[in-house]
Amino acid sequence: MNTITRTWNVNEEERTVTFGGLHRLLDVLREDLGLTGVKEGCGEGECGACTVLINGDPVTSCIVSAVQVPEGAEILTVEGLEKLELGRRIQKAYMEKGSVQCGFCTPGMLMSSYALLSRNSRPTEQEIREAHAGNLCRCTGYEKIVDAVRAVADELEQGTRSTV
Amino acid sequence: MTQQSDGSFRIIGRSLTRSDAEDKVRGKAQYLDDLTMPGVWYADVVRAPVPCGKLLGLHFDESFDWTQVVTVKPEDIPGENIVDMTGLDMPFLAYDRIQYQGEPLALIAAPSKALAREAVNHVRAEVEELPAIQSIQEMVERHKTGLADSLRLLEKKEIRRGDAEGVLAGAGKVLEGEYWTGFQEQLYIEPQGMAAEPMESGGVYIRGSIQCPYYVAPELMKVLNLPLEKIRVEQTVTGGAFGGKEEFPTLPGGYCALLALKAGRPVKMVYDRHEDILFTTKRHPSWTRYRTALAEDGRIAAMEVDMILDGGAYTTISPVVLYRGILHAALGYRCENVTVRGFVYASNSFPCGAFRGFGAPQAYWGLESHVEDLAEQAGLGPDEFRLKNCLQEGDITPTGQHLLTSVGTPAVLKEALRRSDFHAKLARCDQGRPGAKSWYGIGVSFFAHGAGFTGDGEAKFGSRAAMELGRLSDGRPGLTLYASSTEMGQGAKTVLAQMAAEGAGLPFDRVFYPLPDTRVVPDSGPTVASRTTMVVGNILYHAGHKMKCLLEEAAAKHCFGGASVRLEGGRFFAEGVEARPFEEVAEVLLAQGEPLRTEHQFALPPHIRWDQERFVGDAYPAYSWACNVAEVEVDPLTLQIHLRKITAVYDVGRIINPTLAIGQLQGGLVQTIGYALMETMQVRKGLYDANRLQTYIIPTALDVPEMDLQFLEYSCDELAPGAKGLGEITMNGLAPAIGNAVRRATGCRLCAIPMRPEDLYATLYQGAKD
Ligand code: FES
Ligand code: FES
Repeated sequence: MNTITRTWNVNEEERTVTFGGLHRLLDVLREDLGLTGVKEGCGEGECGACTVLINGDPVTSCIVSAVQVPEGAEILTVEGLEKLELGRRIQKAYMEKGSVQCGFCTPGMLMSSYALLSRNSRPTEQEIREAHAGNLCRCTGYEKIVDAVRAVADELEQGTRSTV
Repeated sequence: MTQQSDGSFRIIGRSLTRSDAEDKVRGKAQYLDDLTMPGVWYADVVRAPVPCGKLLGLHFDESFDWTQVVTVKPEDIPGENIVDMTGLDMPFLAYDRIQYQGEPLALIAAPSKALAREAVNHVRAEVEELPAIQSIQEMVERHKTGLADSLRLLEKKEIRRGDAEGVLAGAGKVLEGEYWTGFQEQLYIEPQGMAAEPMESGGVYIRGSIQCPYYVAPELMKVLNLPLEKIRVEQTVTGGAFGGKEEFPTLPGGYCALLALKAGRPVKMVYDRHEDILFTTKRHPSWTRYRTALAEDGRIAAMEVDMILDGGAYTTISPVVLYRGILHAALGYRCENVTVRGFVYASNSFPCGAFRGFGAPQAYWGLESHVEDLAEQAGLGPDEFRLKNCLQEGDITPTGQHLLTSVGTPAVLKEALRRSDFHAKLARCDQGRPGAKSWYGIGVSFFAHGAGFTGDGEAKFGSRAAMELGRLSDGRPGLTLYASSTEMGQGAKTVLAQMAAEGAGLPFDRVFYPLPDTRVVPDSGPTVASRTTMVVGNILYHAGHKMKCLLEEAAAKHCFGGASVRLEGGRFFAEGVEARPFEEVAEVLLAQGEPLRTEHQFALPPHIRWDQERFVGDAYPAYSWACNVAEVEVDPLTLQIHLRKITAVYDVGRIINPTLAIGQLQGGLVQTIGYALMETMQVRKGLYDANRLQTYIIPTALDVPEMDLQFLEYSCDELAPGAKGLGEITMNGLAPAIGNAVRRATGCRLCAIPMRPEDLYATLYQGAKD
């Protein structure tokens, strides 16, 4: 079988992985790299549960072929968030605000929050909603997820102010 | 957002962080598909190619190498080929009659998913196709025209109080309305998944994403030909359920068990989304017809309701859904003459099943749409009519139940009307005013939900739960709780631990609620019917109290030289000596090696009386009450319905954890936005036509309007600590509130949900729809 070997920076670590040419990034992450925090909710790019960041951009890993991810790419999954200051803040806000219920959408949702806040620390309500519109959640009604993102944004703003 | 809870509680009423949140935000929670299972094979199903027919033969292609896979055909079933649910009419594998497209005919397990699928594609079913029933419209048509005998009746039931028929016959004017609801898919984000492996002792160990471990185990006894103790069922972290993982998992659990026993190795089955939408249960489509007579003074003189549910191909739990449906279909207003007749007929689609609300959302779509017309007939506003007629403390329900305790009506109604400034806004509704750029409308609904099993069901069931002193995963002493209730996202793990900790006088972090495993937990009942917080919480609160007494006694003996001891807030107090922390004392007690365990069994208040045959008496131990107000703007050109604001006031008894309670309410309301405005599917050529997330559209973060939510706590004091049901009532009433708002906006009543622009167009410009 046609196999491919790639070295990526996955969650701040160099990882080299060999996979079949047609494998989805989702399967390589879950099965070859053991990152089962990344979830499959539809396999068709619709639910966002499989969202990871590639070089900072959110992608649904179920419709990305692993071969499309270039050598040296930086991949961030839910497992890597706790290594990052912003990641930890978002995780904490999700816990405190009650943004997690069944938790199946959470890994993907968190990645969308991270992608948004790493670029825009003062998002409007509409921007928050749009940034998460590709992530379906059937449990929370989204309100507490929006609350958590807003809380982190407020915290970031206060942080900026106090250092000025 | 909630009222202050009773100050005498330390842990109840606090928004403690969920105990499973940390694992979930770190990606560490292990759902079924995340578990490593060495040597696992994958299950797949050979499915019937037609919705109705006769199976003439099953042909296994000889060119395929069948030695690479394991198959289970009807003749390989060790026990009876039957799914042991109500009705006993559903075979595990169809062998003669086919009643729905996709009905399982044979099972296959293979070392890879791809190979299992390939094998399935090498099986051909030879069938003789027969005419199928595929819509509720067809069913209702036959029911109305005296052709009901041509349908398979799965259940019927009647409620009767006074003489509705007599009063209606003599009434000058009878108001009539017919209302329809469609399928709804639960759409938990984690798809269905089960796994099974043979146990060395000869039985089978089944794991998966489930609501009710003690449904799966007994329902598989017949088919596996195993005694209950040889079927061990354990829940894995469950990614949402909403009823969809109530009775259904018995099927994939059974597929995996049959294959695992034959293959002698673990077998798992995780549905992909397409399969999950096509071949799992849906909310029952419904039709209700109301016929009502008003008295001169604007009161309701008589009400007659007919309700039909489309049960799908087999009985499963449809009778119970019907009971809840008819029990809520006239529950809301004072009326001495009520008849409610309910029917479930079979169709040739996947069996319908449990979904949050369980018949009540269908009932209230009818009742609360109809009441709007009654108000108009009475010459009253929708708010005034409801305030005048709504059930209140001391009133009697259609089954003859006196509402005596914890009755949050008319309080919820008044508060929602006040908060939303309903009356003033009513005057501003556009009623389809020509020339307007946008049509504004406001609508209200008032409704209830009976918590727990129907009638004296809880007394008969006798749920039990237990707890034991031991070491928690951090190595420190604490209580582990034992019950079969499941955490599926709603927060049971946290809320039940809060109530147990309160009862025991211990800190929250010293109480742990594990995933239930039938090998060790007593049966605290299924996690359904909005019963868990009220019933199982009550059991654990009492078991906790017993534990507190046990700990006090043991501490007195071993640590305080026999002095009388009091455990409070995690500290032991005795006269004249310094208080000692729980953990220090618990270490001494654990060293004694005596097990410290308490158990409690649920007891219904003794005055609850119910006649299941006649449907008379106390239909539920307690009711939650609520009022929803919806505000919409309709675009006169595109007829898009924009939901602008929801005001919701709920009495669900004592609130155990305010953040979790609000989260349940927000989630349920948003799921209902989908039900009312977006989510639609029909059976076409035997299968649901919306069968992927591209076509079955559910609300996203952009579809959520402003929400003003409030709880009023009418604690249910008979069942300490006083919680009533919360999970399901969140879905009961928003659809008719939106429907009533659309009516005020456009001047046009829609009688079916979902309400989409094309439906509005068809109704506004009668006959425009082909
Ligand atoms: S699993 Fe990738 S978007 Fe749903
Ligand atoms: S928390 Fe369950 S799907 Fe979002």
